[in-house]
Amino acid sequence: MKTSVLWATPDPEKTIALAMRRCYSTKTLNELVSELESKGPDYWKHLIELAIRDKSFDVIEHFCILVLLEDFGEKEIFSISLKNPFIRFTCLKPKVYLASLNARTLVEMTYQDESKELALSIIKSLKEVGIGNLFISVVFGGMLIEG
Amino acid sequence: MKVNLIWNTNISAVKDYLDNKGLTINYSELEDHIFYMFEIEDVSRVTTHQLIRHRMASYDQESQRFSAASRESFIIPASILSKEEAYKIYNDALRFCVDSFEKLISLGVPKEDARYIMPHAIKTKLVMTVNAKNLKHIADLRTAPQAQWEIRELVSMMRDLAVRATPEIWSNTK
Repeated sequence: MKTSVLWATPDPEKTIALAMRRCYSTKTLNELVSELESKGPDYWKHLIELAIRDKSFDVIEHFCILVLLEDFGEKEIFSISLKNPFIRFTCLKPKVYLASLNARTLVEMTYQDESKELALSIIKSLKEVGIGNLFISVVFGGMLIEG
Repeated sequence: MKVNLIWNTNISAVKDYLDNKGLTINYSELEDHIFYMFEIEDVSRVTTHQLIRHRMASYDQESQRFSAASRESFIIPASILSKEEAYKIYNDALRFCVDSFEKLISLGVPKEDARYIMPHAIKTKLVMTVNAKNLKHIADLRTAPQAQWEIRELVSMMRDLAVRATPEIWSNTK
């Protein structure tokens, strides 16, 4: 089984932080972006930690991921899609799928027996291409050490 | 009303990657995998109640537990603005609501409870992430003549931004 990341939300941590600040601020988009850029990644990390602590998983839904799955079985894909209504699969040829999901689904998949292997493989692929490192360390840090 | 497209999936990057692997996908199948993130400002809560009925999308909206309501922060429909008497009734009702909200706050009532008195006309801000397939579905329903003017204007702006950013996905759509 091989998983490759084709595309993901640009600056996912800043995007999550923006979604979180949108809920608690009256500022305009430009003002929020300026605020987030001046405060930097430590602040984005702080906001992600708060979101995870409070189980405000809606904000991490804006981190979208598009992956190519090679050498995956049809039954396996079917059982994962049954459990996760927000992941979309397109079969490109036998055993090869294009899949898109958001980070909330990725988190939920790590708690499911039938989906955990795929979730960990997506997280590993994200790390390999350097996407969402800060997010991964906050949300999956312990799990990756354990895994 | 203001709508910004914050980012969208880079279709060329996806198509190039698949081409290099000798894999093909048509634009209709790709609709599931192309995402857009929008920032929406200064629409009424009437309209956002309609928008969030489209469940296959992600939303984060300005909370009234934290934001301050002001006398200027309301949408006034043209049908009310154009009739002097109707406008007076509307304006008096809004003023009564805002005054009552401020009095409740001054009495120590938390904002999260005082906000119950606020009208749906109040302006709000939100971010929304949605894929092309669902945005097309929303556009079909909400830009139709029977949709209300405010959501029709909002979704038309979202659709126009998406068309400009990813014309190949929308080439068969009005």
